[in-house]
Amino acid sequence: MMQKEEKEILPSTIKNKEKRSEVHAKLKHQKKLEKRKKAKARDAAEKRALELGEEPPPKMVPRTIENTREFDETVCKPDDEELFAGNDADEFGAILKRERTPKVLITTCRFNSSRGPAFISELLSVIPNAHYYKRGTYDLKKIVEYANNKDFTSLIVVHTNRREPDALLIIGLPEGPTAHFKLSKLVLRKDIKNHGNPTNHKPELVLNNFTTRLGHRIGRLIQSLFPQDPNFRGRRVVTFHNQRDFIFFRHHRYIFDRKESKQTDSKGKEAEDAKGEKASQERVIARLQECGPRFTLKLTSLQHGTFDSKGGEFEWVHKPEMDTSRRRFFL
Amino acid sequence: MPRTTTLECPGCPSLRALTFDALGLIKVIEAKVSQGGAPRVVERWGELDSSKCVLAASINDRKDDPLLAVARKTGMIEVLSAINGDIRFTVSNANEDGPRPEDDAVVGLHLFAGQKLELTSRSCTLLTCTTKGNTSMRSIEVTDSPAGSASIGSSNTWSVCSSGNILCSKVDGSEKYAIFGGKGVEMNMWDLDNCTKIWAAKSPPKNSLDIFTPTWFTSSTFLSKDDHRKIVAGTNSHQVRLYDISAQRRPVISFDFRETPIKSVTEDLDGYTVYVGNGSGDLASFDMRTGKLLGCFLGKCSGSIRSIARHPELPVIASCGLDSYLRLWDIKTRQLLSAVFLKQHLTNVVFDSNFADEEVKPSVTADLPLNAEKIANETEIREEEETLPVKRKKASKGDERRKKKKATKENEGNKVKEASKENEGSKKLKSKKSERSKCEIHDES
Repeated sequence: MMQKEEKEILPSTIKNKEKRSEVHAKLKHQKKLEKRKKAKARDAAEKRALELGEEPPPKMVPRTIENTREFDETVCKPDDEELFAGNDADEFGAILKRERTPKVLITTCRFNSSRGPAFISELLSVIPNAHYYKRGTYDLKKIVEYANNKDFTSLIVVHTNRREPDALLIIGLPEGPTAHFKLSKLVLRKDIKNHGNPTNHKPELVLNNFTTRLGHRIGRLIQSLFPQDPNFRGRRVVTFHNQRDFIFFRHHRYIFDRKESKQTDSKGKEAEDAKGEKASQERVIARLQECGPRFTLKLTSLQHGTFDSKGGEFEWVHKPEMDTSRRRFFL
Repeated sequence: MPRTTTLECPGCPSLRALTFDALGLIKVIEAKVSQGGAPRVVERWGELDSSKCVLAASINDRKDDPLLAVARKTGMIEVLSAINGDIRFTVSNANEDGPRPEDDAVVGLHLFAGQKLELTSRSCTLLTCTTKGNTSMRSIEVTDSPAGSASIGSSNTWSVCSSGNILCSKVDGSEKYAIFGGKGVEMNMWDLDNCTKIWAAKSPPKNSLDIFTPTWFTSSTFLSKDDHRKIVAGTNSHQVRLYDISAQRRPVISFDFRETPIKSVTEDLDGYTVYVGNGSGDLASFDMRTGKLLGCFLGKCSGSIRSIARHPELPVIASCGLDSYLRLWDIKTRQLLSAVFLKQHLTNVVFDSNFADEEVKPSVTADLPLNAEKIANETEIREEEETLPVKRKKASKGDERRKKKKATKENEGNKVKEASKENEGSKKLKSKKSERSKCEIHDES
């Protein structure tokens, strides 16, 4: 008998379309069956282990791009004294040490239309102590001077393109760095289902995943826009979550709830009687209600000093030659 | 498999470099061939104090007792030993009736090497220049007391410009001439022996659109060590100009480079190549005889290049800047040899050329050769602006200490050659792409 060797025939090498599609369909079907079998086996093993009281086999962790991120030596380490000294000395030090209260000036580019003003009015409700001034035809440098005279701590410029806001320029004052962000996926409050209305309490700020030195600096820039003494009674939180160099902005109101975890009915009844058991079955969860806009930012450049398109020098500018790896991120 | 393109960085030859940053720290980076050519930070001098931010630095690189002069934001100028960082003495740059040092920051600093051997006294000469144009040349005697006190010998102070700010200054190889330039200040050359201005530039005429760009020089250097007549200067409007004082007052050659101000210009040892670094991190080399771009150094540098230093012997240049990296490049192949992350905004880098691969030479207490008289007469202080946004040309007298043996030198050369060939092709493509996208970025903002 001739031994049939299991040779893998790639469908792409078969020239005949009918035959090729047949072979491909068969392969896919086989793969699907194998995957289902594996999943079933895994579930069965876990169930068996739980019933027997042993530990279930370890859960497999999927490989993601964040998991396999390239090693970055600029990640801030927790015991780095140079980092702390640098933080003390940098431009946001005064605001973050509560010596100055943040006062933000929001303005736009020269042509402003459609969603721009709506976005700005929402920004005014998110950031406390923010003021909006119409752009007119002033030079940005003049606006920076004007803001310095009036004691503002930051300047935000919303740039609109094709009737949609698409870039955000955050300038720290008096001579702070200028961060230029690309804005996308803007969803206004009225477009969010079941949205809530924000109050005037000072929000809490959550900054996630700003690990590298550059990320840390941007995190501090964002932190300097908000007042440093959040009002926890207001239960309002603003989140800037960094993932893969995209910064996601979300604005929520939260409320803590005591929730009974799922148990069988008999146990639940018993739990009502016995107080001791009740605590172990309850969990405290936070329910969120989204309010305010939702958008994503991506940093294109960070300039040292205030906005200066001709004479500026950059601390970080994105160059396409830096994108050599899909697992390399800068923030 | 993950789609990555990693460029293997070949190690660098044995060298030693000192970097200065915005927090006032001086870091010593050494690379040894025996350890695989990867540079590491071996020492860190100075305290973490941003008011002591280093503005300018200059090294007197010689075999016996090399000295390093550092100008800080507080107006103090410290002279340290370049081997172990001991402060020899500190001098204040402020005058009693002059403006405060915070307003009048030091821009350029030069520590004279001196030629004459003085057996009796130990003194050194410093040339400092401030933004308002107050330049002074001081000769300072160092006594042998352990406290490191210094008595100031003679000093000469004069003003280089009446209006405007000086942003760049340099002393030439023979230490007889100095050039100054800045915002609103045309390039001018002074004779240090007599403290007279011997030449001043004239700005180019209005261009075809009748637009006159204001004068704003951000960096400058002499083109060659032996010839003081040719000067290369970079402007805030991304132009690089070659001046020849024996020919005319207007620039001889002038060309544009990218779109951000030229922050640093350094000459090569061959007398006609210059390395130019600008505000968005592009480093390139030009042939000044023709004005032609020889090539760009591609290496993912994303921050403004504040300072470039050329090693006096090895074909290596170092660039440092606001992205907190010190990068070492090979000159011939324009390949990145290695990059060191240094955590702060770097303002200057110098090379220390007497670096022994086996051990660091202990400081010899030989008498410092100084020309006391010469120094006493000339007191121009060229303070290189380090922290101010001035193109830093290679810090003067960057010397690397290295006692590389010839054998290792050849090996390095071979290694670099092999690696470079593959990279040439890909580099060319990359440079084209980056130029196009550069334009796009600026359109957006």
